[in-house]
Amino acid sequence: MKIFFVILLVSCCWMACTARRMPASSQASAEVEHGRDKYMQYCQKCHPMGESGLGPALNNSPAPGFVKRFQVRHGLGAMPAFKKDVISKADLHDIMRYMKSMKREEKLPS
Amino acid sequence: MKLIMLLWLVLLCSCYGTRQSKGGGQISGTPAREINSADVVLPEGYRIEAVASGLNFPTAMAFDEEGTPYVIEAGYSYGEVFRKPRLLKITGGKTETVATGEENGPWTGIAFHKNNFYIAEGGQKEGGKILKVTPGGEITAVVEGLPGMGDHHTNGPVIRDGYIYFATGSVTNSGVVGPDNAEFGWLKRHPELHDIPCEDITLAGENFETEQVLTDAQGDKAVTGAYLPFGTASTAGQVIKGKLPCSGAVLRVPVSGGKMELVAWGLRNPYGLAVSGDGKLYVTENAADVRGSRPLWGVGDVLWEIRPGAWYGWPDYSEGKPVRLFKTPGGPALKPLLQEEKGEVPKPVAVLAVHSSSNGIDFSSNGNFGFENHAFIAQFGDMAPNVGKVLSPVGFKIVNVDVQSGAAKDFAVNRGKKGGPASRLHTGGLERPVSVKFDPSGDHLYIVDFGILKMTEDGKSVPVENTGVIWKVSVTR
Repeated sequence: MKIFFVILLVSCCWMACTARRMPASSQASAEVEHGRDKYMQYCQKCHPMGESGLGPALNNSPAPGFVKRFQVRHGLGAMPAFKKDVISKADLHDIMRYMKSMKREEKLPS
Repeated sequence: MKLIMLLWLVLLCSCYGTRQSKGGGQISGTPAREINSADVVLPEGYRIEAVASGLNFPTAMAFDEEGTPYVIEAGYSYGEVFRKPRLLKITGGKTETVATGEENGPWTGIAFHKNNFYIAEGGQKEGGKILKVTPGGEITAVVEGLPGMGDHHTNGPVIRDGYIYFATGSVTNSGVVGPDNAEFGWLKRHPELHDIPCEDITLAGENFETEQVLTDAQGDKAVTGAYLPFGTASTAGQVIKGKLPCSGAVLRVPVSGGKMELVAWGLRNPYGLAVSGDGKLYVTENAADVRGSRPLWGVGDVLWEIRPGAWYGWPDYSEGKPVRLFKTPGGPALKPLLQEEKGEVPKPVAVLAVHSSSNGIDFSSNGNFGFENHAFIAQFGDMAPNVGKVLSPVGFKIVNVDVQSGAAKDFAVNRGKKGGPASRLHTGGLERPVSVKFDPSGDHLYIVDFGILKMTEDGKSVPVENTGVIWKVSVTR
């Protein structure tokens, strides 16, 4: 139980961080570029630039990669599931790489 | 470990249904418009400044042969505010009236061609028009009688190959007249209105029972079918004759006058039109909302390349996908309204944020400015909760789209931990960007900022007059 509260506390601190990133034009690897294209196709409209919109923000989400992949595959709440025939394993891998790269981008000044 | 993971998932997803909408316009009070270019963040190597302010619902810009900027004021805003639309010349931060129109706005777009201005008059009161305005301010209608009295208006225009291209928005959210249209204000003014197909269509016979909003009797019900007036049911196999002008379409007429032609149809609200450097016509489409008799959920706005003769799928497709994929969580299944599809639906160039209201568009054609051949799109921002719920403000910025890959990136955004219009963030940044326009040199991008448009908790629009601003983005590197 103690560990849960620790995780909860860390999660809350993390989510208090901004999800917003600088308008940047940084170069990325081919994998990340491919992940970006797939993100634009499947994720962008609800999580624009990794920020909150129709859905929650991703840039400041504390969830580990396997939880995010689980949610993509199975859906949860209002989010639909994206099975392997829609987003392949390789594409999902690249989407995760792109999301990590977005997280690393410089934060917008407040 | 499994329990922790489960609790984590619950925490992360914490029930969409119970969360309140936090739209950008959902603010209290009536804030004054402040302007501070330091509150707008751009990529390194660019700067922004305000060049005109105090405008009343500005919507679009054009430049004459000398490169002098002009702006149009809409003369109408959601919230049923009618004013006289105007064409204004901007000189040294001051404006001078060139022409004043009738209360049949909103004027939504403007193009300059061979010493005349061409303006799309939305047509909320008497139908849409394409107006020709001389530099001396004389106004004549090139096209009249366009659908424009419903939810969406006449948009555009752009001029290409001797033709004026313009767009007509759909009358309704998703093909069926309903109580939401009474809330907009037009259904009681025009109870006969409905969408008009561009070609003959055969209905599937889907009908929708709603409150009867045209009578005072409590408990009265109305049954309404697609492409029919409110309270008129449809039958399976019923044919609705197509005609021009139609709603939800891109149309064209010769600049010199003549017969109207269909370019493409099956679009919901094709708002922004622009021609790229390689001569292709692109359109931004405002996608369907979570409202009315046939609400759609989770539909992103779309950037389309327009192919002559194509049917883009509305009201049975959005983003090039069938409507069954856009069912409201917990809501009824969505079925097609048409018995037969009208062609293969193209794939979007880009799908943009849900409820972002991606509107005016222009292309960078100048290597000096950068982002050559990219589309710049003004996102007016969400009108939640009227259009549906959002967890955070969506839009209120300029994005640029690589039309080859479909990738969108932020270009001009308000600084701050959260996004949204300046009035919500209590800053002097962007409020509701409605269109963008490069000057003739291509060195400067102008942003037309409509001003403050609040949304009440029950979904009503409350525009604040004289809060519009023109911003100018320049290269500093």
